[in-house]
Amino acid sequence: MAVRIRLKRMGAHKAPFYRVVVSDSRSPRDGRFIEEIGTYNPVTVPAQVSIDEEKALKWLQTGAQASDTVRNLLSKAGVLKKFHELKQQK
Amino acid sequence: MEIEQSDALARTTRVNLLFDFYENLLTEKQRTILAYYYHDDFSLGEIASEFGISRQAVYDNIKRAEGALENYEDKLLLLEKHERLMEAANLLERGVEEIVMKESDRNKLMAVIARLKTAEQTAREGGDDSWQHSRA
Repeated sequence: MAVRIRLKRMGAHKAPFYRVVVSDSRSPRDGRFIEEIGTYNPVTVPAQVSIDEEKALKWLQTGAQASDTVRNLLSKAGVLKKFHELKQQK
Repeated sequence: MEIEQSDALARTTRVNLLFDFYENLLTEKQRTILAYYYHDDFSLGEIASEFGISRQAVYDNIKRAEGALENYEDKLLLLEKHERLMEAANLLERGVEEIVMKESDRNKLMAVIARLKTAEQTAREGGDDSWQHSRA
């Protein structure tokens, strides 16, 4: 079972807001996700991102695949860098 | 934490906003595939297997739909106008917060600003916003 980390669009019409969620790659579009690990709000200037670093690292280390947009977010938040450092220590 | 938007994220943000404005002008299939790709962040491969079509077909479909959205925006400028309106409303809001006035007056003005900000959102109630319900 492949586990993916994706952005899930929430928020109102013309006022998008995103959740960063962990879900099974085969779960349907409107299906439940396993866990929420952060949020992203592009409406504020500058955009606001909050990531639960501990949870994000846990999922990355167990092999969860992040989508391009989530990789983008994680790298901005410095989480990917930490992940690679942890990997090299092993 | 504050960040600058970029790349894939910026693309997703822009297309989703354009989609909010012009979604009803796309074909059913374009809407479905764009929603998978940009609302739910599915990969091309995942969408391809979901619909039983090739990855290339999904990609072409998304590119064409994006092109259509940008084309509508070029002509109608709804997103650009919306962004200018929001920017002005935000400036106004900050101004009202800073100016010395009676609290009851401030509340009245803030209520008007809130109406201004949501005017376009409420104007679209009753439209096809089914994707919102599934995300409640």
